[in-house]
Amino acid sequence: MFLDLAWKNICSQRRRSLVTVLLLLFATAILVFSGAFMEGSHRQMIRSAVEIYPSYLQITGNGYRDEPGVDRLVFDLAALNNVLNAQSEVALATSRYESFALLVSDHQALGALLAAVEPDKEAQVSRLKQSLIRGEYLSNNDQNQVYLGRELAQRLKVDVGSNLAFVGSGADSSFAADRLHVKGIFQTGLFDFDNSSAFVNRTYIEPLMALDNTASHVIVLPHNPDQVQDLARLLSQRLPPELGLEVRSWQETMSGLVEAMTVDSIFGYLTLSVLFLVILFVITIYTLLAIMARTREIGILRAIGSSQRQIFTLLLLEGLILTLAGVIPGGMLGGAFAWYFQENPFSFSAWEEQFKQYNLAVSTLPALFSLTQILRDMIIMTLAALMAMLVPLLRVTRLRPTEAMRHV
Amino acid sequence: MQLLLRYSLIGLILFSATPLVAADAESLLQEMEDRLYGDTAIIKLAMVVGNRRGERRMEMESYSSGRDRNFIKITYPAKDRGITFLKIDNGLWQYVPRIEKIIKIPAAMMLQSWMGSDFSNDDLVRESLLSRDYHSSISAEDDETWTLELTARAEAPVVWGRLLVVLSREHLLPLRVDYYDEENQLIRTLEYSRYSEMGGRIYPARWFMQPREAGQEERWTRIDVMEAAFDLDIPEETFSKRALKRLSR
Repeated sequence: MFLDLAWKNICSQRRRSLVTVLLLLFATAILVFSGAFMEGSHRQMIRSAVEIYPSYLQITGNGYRDEPGVDRLVFDLAALNNVLNAQSEVALATSRYESFALLVSDHQALGALLAAVEPDKEAQVSRLKQSLIRGEYLSNNDQNQVYLGRELAQRLKVDVGSNLAFVGSGADSSFAADRLHVKGIFQTGLFDFDNSSAFVNRTYIEPLMALDNTASHVIVLPHNPDQVQDLARLLSQRLPPELGLEVRSWQETMSGLVEAMTVDSIFGYLTLSVLFLVILFVITIYTLLAIMARTREIGILRAIGSSQRQIFTLLLLEGLILTLAGVIPGGMLGGAFAWYFQENPFSFSAWEEQFKQYNLAVSTLPALFSLTQILRDMIIMTLAALMAMLVPLLRVTRLRPTEAMRHV
Repeated sequence: MQLLLRYSLIGLILFSATPLVAADAESLLQEMEDRLYGDTAIIKLAMVVGNRRGERRMEMESYSSGRDRNFIKITYPAKDRGITFLKIDNGLWQYVPRIEKIIKIPAAMMLQSWMGSDFSNDDLVRESLLSRDYHSSISAEDDETWTLELTARAEAPVVWGRLLVVLSREHLLPLRVDYYDEENQLIRTLEYSRYSEMGGRIYPARWFMQPREAGQEERWTRIDVMEAAFDLDIPEETFSKRALKRLSR
């Protein structure tokens, strides 16, 4: 009976109903899609930043992350590798030795990160190899070949085939220097990284830098990147404490970026909430006007014996029908957009070069189609709309029948 | 008239009393540097760098003239023999035989460790010029020492905020230098000891550098002066960039 009555009332006030439904549809679609787009693009940005070089899971000597130095290295690489190889969750582990060195060309001498990597394995844990733009990536047999960031190569005024020299120090802080040939040039799009990093094959530099059994980082690639935090916890427990190591997932190593993205989301939602406040305010006013117009009718209903609660239920039901009529198709519309842009991300490839200059290493920004997130947004919207309708509803149901009937 | 003259003389003495004390600290510092570096100095020394993994020993010859010119040649270990350094005009050049290159150490690298020690490239360039870069005043004294407090001159491009130099009254040579950063944190301490006669003067045969920052406790650098000769003629040639390569052999 309530439902019939409610439906009748909705139909009798077509304009109010239509505007309310459309507003809610529009608002829900925007909320769902913006949420999906923010989440999707943030994930993409974090993923690129993580995968370019830092990678998902890092093991370092205790305290190395806060203050890098030869006193805080991984001192027993072989023992660590033995432990890692025995873990079924570990897909691959590779070592890096990072040091600060002076790179000297015929034109320039510049300080830079000089990192010794295991070229084949490195190619699987980072995007170093994919970022090649000229020449070739390193190989496991390379001698004094160097793989240089594009901006660094530009500053040194060298190109593929040029000669360089490095002057640095080894794991025992002894002096290390040698000549290098530029084998390849890479560009990841992270300007600072491309501007200050150079890579060499570990087996070549091992004797020169007295690396022996040491490394500055061991990078672990988990079978399932979504469970990297669990794996980090697991490894922290399983690594023998006498090795003096700490395990960090990308959520920790890249905490600054993760925080920046969270702040960005918060500001995104704040901006949206201003829009929603306006929309909800309009809905409140429309509801108020519609219900005021029916004050007399409500008074009569009360006079012929309807209880306050019955009237409240009736009006709430009307509101709920309108809300759902807006929110459900709105959610579907927003969801459809989210799905479409997940499959066909916004592409900025035409501006990729400019993007890289601004330190953005992504050329596409996808949305994220997540049912839970869409349902969450729809529920939020439904509750907000009902709240907006509640104020006028409560006002009118509290009127006394005689008072209401006299209302014109 | 005579009375007036006498009073003005007393006044003059009184007024100039304050600057005299300040000049005193400056001249103590000057004197210390003169004794430590001489007009010219030829020093053979060993530098031992220690950390939690062990010790590493290097040997080198240092030729200096005045305060601002210094030539250093590494003589041990064999793999580093022939690496040479030249400090002139506030710049630092290096020659590495293995790569056959003369390199000017860029400004950005000046604070990097020198040869893996706890001395930085900047120390090599500036350490002997404290009196040029810092104001000094006497902050404490007892029967055996003066303590000079050095604060950076406004225009001096230095890395330390404040230095405390403990000076032996007996030798007018340093016993200890404490280096503070701009936040007034003690960063490192350099201690001079084993005073003995070398090259015709009393000279500290051991210099011991200890970083004081958290996490650096296990690091240290020790310089043992093996031979020293002062105020000899050093050929002008030695302090030229050509010498970097020529004297490397």
